[in-house]
Amino acid sequence: MNDCKVELDGDFALVRVSGEVDLSWSQSVRKAILDALGKVRNVGVELSGVAYIDSSGIAALVEGFQSARGKGQKFSLVAASPQVQAVLKLARLDRVFPMVDSVAAARA
Amino acid sequence: MAGRALLALEVPAQPEALRSVRGALTAALARSGVGAEDRDRLVLAVDEAMANVIRHAYGNSGTGRVRFTLSRGRGMLRFRLRDFAPPVDPAQVRPRDLSVCRPGGLGINFIDETMDRWCLRPLPRGKGNVLTMCKRLRPGGKA
Repeated sequence: MNDCKVELDGDFALVRVSGEVDLSWSQSVRKAILDALGKVRNVGVELSGVAYIDSSGIAALVEGFQSARGKGQKFSLVAASPQVQAVLKLARLDRVFPMVDSVAAARA
Repeated sequence: MAGRALLALEVPAQPEALRSVRGALTAALARSGVGAEDRDRLVLAVDEAMANVIRHAYGNSGTGRVRFTLSRGRGMLRFRLRDFAPPVDPAQVRPRDLSVCRPGGLGINFIDETMDRWCLRPLPRGKGNVLTMCKRLRPGGKA
């Protein structure tokens, strides 16, 4: 089941993404991430429930990362699933994104 | 078609069709003895190829169709996508420099890194384009 929910908590937002992120709805993920970055200074994107991600989904994450970096905001990927990690590695992005294991680490 | 047919599909060139293609391809590759890790890579490559047809060949118009076939022969898996879109210039379809971190343009890299070889050619008289991607099977039938 594809889903993307945003949980706001003070200066932190957690974007929880699950399902198969492909061209059919990756724009919704992109919008959720960029909207969250427009509201708070620290955004984590929780990816433990992502069973599949394609290049359009990776592009949404890159855009969020670059937007945050450009504005001095904090941005991290939280608990990326093995499927997400494999595609990040294929794109040579596995060492570009800040990656953390837990929501607490993203919030800190 | 070269080799033994493992899967043949024709779907609308729409993003909503990608999921069903991935499902059918995953099942066909599993039946053919391709391991999970290789299967995931091959499914991603085909998904990216089909997404490129939808976005670039058909220009996100929501129209058109894509024929996909998977076959096996001479120690290779062959993935073929045929569209009916205006001709695409193969010279414009190339992997990009991954040391530059920017959104977009990764699909061809995924295909290039996963497949042993691939070839895009426009059909004569503007009758569409054919992308053929080949993956050599390792001993024991694995990709």
